[in-house]
Amino acid sequence: MGWREAWRLGGVAFGELSFQAVYAFRQGNLVPVTSSKSLVPKGRSRVNQSKAIVSALLALLAIGAAAFLHDGARVSSSLFGYVIPATVLDTGVLTGLLTLDAAFLWWTGLQVLPTLLSSAVLPVLETLPIDGPTYRRAAAILYFRLFDLPIVTVLLVTPVALGLALGPAAGLAIVPGVVASVVFALALSLVTGRFFVHRIQGARGGGGGTAVRWTLLVLWLLPSFAILGFVTTGFRFLFLLQDVAMERGASLLRDLIYATYPVPFALLTGVAAHGTRDVGLDTAAALALALGAALYLGLVAWSAVWLFREIRELGHVPIGTTAVAPATTHRLHPQAAAWAVLTKDLRIASRTPGYAFLLLLPILDAVALGLLTVVDAPRASAAQGLAIGTVTAAALLATFFGPAFFAIEVLAYSYGRTLPLRDRSVVLGKATLICLIYVVASAIVLALASLRVNDPDLFLAFVLAELPAVLAAAFVELGWLFRRARAKGFPVANLYSGGWIAFLIAIPGLIVAAAPLVAYALEGLPLMAIVAVGELAVLSPYALGGSER
Amino acid sequence: MATDPASPRGPPLAIEGLVVQYGERRAVSGLTVTVRPGEIYGLLGSNGAGKSSTIKSVVGLVRPHAGRVRVFGLDVTEAGLRTKEEIGYVPETSMLYDSLTPREFLEFVAGVRRLDASTATARARTYALAFRLESEFEEPIVALSNGTRQKVLLIAALLHAPRLLVLDEPLNGLDPRSVRIVKDLLRRYVTESGRGVLFSTHTMEVAQELCHRVGILDGGVLQGEGTVPELRGRIESGDASLEEIFLRLTREDEGLSDAVALLGER
Repeated sequence: MGWREAWRLGGVAFGELSFQAVYAFRQGNLVPVTSSKSLVPKGRSRVNQSKAIVSALLALLAIGAAAFLHDGARVSSSLFGYVIPATVLDTGVLTGLLTLDAAFLWWTGLQVLPTLLSSAVLPVLETLPIDGPTYRRAAAILYFRLFDLPIVTVLLVTPVALGLALGPAAGLAIVPGVVASVVFALALSLVTGRFFVHRIQGARGGGGGTAVRWTLLVLWLLPSFAILGFVTTGFRFLFLLQDVAMERGASLLRDLIYATYPVPFALLTGVAAHGTRDVGLDTAAALALALGAALYLGLVAWSAVWLFREIRELGHVPIGTTAVAPATTHRLHPQAAAWAVLTKDLRIASRTPGYAFLLLLPILDAVALGLLTVVDAPRASAAQGLAIGTVTAAALLATFFGPAFFAIEVLAYSYGRTLPLRDRSVVLGKATLICLIYVVASAIVLALASLRVNDPDLFLAFVLAELPAVLAAAFVELGWLFRRARAKGFPVANLYSGGWIAFLIAIPGLIVAAAPLVAYALEGLPLMAIVAVGELAVLSPYALGGSER
Repeated sequence: MATDPASPRGPPLAIEGLVVQYGERRAVSGLTVTVRPGEIYGLLGSNGAGKSSTIKSVVGLVRPHAGRVRVFGLDVTEAGLRTKEEIGYVPETSMLYDSLTPREFLEFVAGVRRLDASTATARARTYALAFRLESEFEEPIVALSNGTRQKVLLIAALLHAPRLLVLDEPLNGLDPRSVRIVKDLLRRYVTESGRGVLFSTHTMEVAQELCHRVGILDGGVLQGEGTVPELRGRIESGDASLEEIFLRLTREDEGLSDAVALLGER
């Protein structure tokens, strides 16, 4: 046996994984009452479509960044009112690009991980008489194929786009940076996957256990929030970079920034394109840059070896459970159906990183932006504007990620359908969860900004006026997903296999959520409230009406 | 438990001319079966005989291509939610919410079934003690053994004291003690007024011991139905076991000795 056999085995395993990612039979879905011959090709096709969407997004990011830098002086002048030095602009933009590449790949890994674990494709392979090296290769190939098209896109499109925009030297100089982003993303996916199985999946129930799980999830997801927070505050980073680059003499802050991933790779590309003139590259800074780059390249090599060695263990990482069974009173607290759905979803999210991420992202984004509002706003009126902007972001984020909660219905779908549960209760439970995310995020912003906002009543009225629109948007998205699920006879998708559906359905949802915000910008609060309530009145029957199954 | 006067009337389960089709493949062809009040009805068949498709039609997972399925007189395609309230179901495979603990899962089921806290707690506690599940009540289901998952499913099916139990291979993975408990429980269960059990199994001994009547499915068609003595009469063998009856009626005894001999030569 060798690489050829490993490729064949990895392909078979990936086919099964795609199949499970789409139809989730091992997670409790039911075989659709259609011809079974089309299931396997349809599964592969759906996974490939999702990969193509992520890849297109990554390609767009790379091409967009290259186009931006190609005419950087003019663009920065029109954006900021002055020209940012070319090397500084290159470094700032490429730092953002490399960070986003890593974040998106890691995100993809987070989404597919539960399926990889539940599909049991690796343990099945291990029971066959396959020698160790071939099994390791097959496992590595399977893991690589989770990300293959997006990885190839990042590795090819980024250097080519930058080579065309900034010259061949820049195109070559970015290669170590994109390789590092890819390898780090794959390694982080594996590390977080193992952490998930060890510390979260098997964590016990009850109040204390729930608190521990959510704390672990926040800790675990913090790096990805930091990445997204960096994207949110990208312009601030660019200005900071410009300030430290302009400093004369020694600067510890500059040296630290130059040594922090992925700045060394971005800066090297900027230098390759435009030289060192704008970036204050004295001996200490150059040393920091060189050491940083060398350190990260070493880490890339080590991560690649580690990945290859550890990937085989992912299939059977023992689930960490409490050694001593906790005492229990067996007390049950049944709730009304919609609340039962909401509670179930929260409990599942507390043990499933992909869902926890969706739930925590708008809330932690509100924390980050709320803190910035307090710290940064030059005066109260500006704070008011920033706070309202943050709430707007929370409303749109909750609406955008809302449909993804529908994917929880994939779990134990066939069993769930045997319960006397009305579709209306499921839609209400999930829509309430989306509204809850918005309300919690808004409450955090209100609490953080209360010191600077001079008219909390207006702020509160804004939050309340938008709430019906968030609910209406959730109704549109979930109502459509339910109709589609019923028509198809199986759950729409999980995030890995059906990302395009989540993107598509988010468009009308975002329009519904954004309409009152536009009304606010045009005519103020009264019109905003009228639009939001009107949307809810019109759209509720769509989601809550219709025949029950 | 006294029957609720508002409860629908009719036999626990009446299947008439059921046809289930997957694409071009017909899994069940014109099946007619009735589960009478106080009866445990065993549905027997080889792999792919149509047992699970029949059961899925009863619990609303598969829409029949033709025919009718009535639960206490209510048609499952017309009054699906109402019939689901009457049914307690244990599926063939233990596909549960793996992320939830048994307590959290049962709480969800109790909420959907609109049980009050004291009733749900009392029943869950009784069954958990009977199945020795109390020490695993706060462990996520993903970390439980197959047998323990099966116990959770059985408790979930019994939690609302349904009038019809639909059990698809319910003894799979259970230890001997739990098998004994389930058998005793089912026998006592149907003694309450109006209740019935539809029970699918491959294990002939269990069916012979437990079921009042059995139906033998083969290729989606009912080949025989009745009590074991009645079926013995059909094959004209006064002392045949249910296994022998099954093999004769499904004609799976043909070539059986040759197959066994073939294995012996290897």
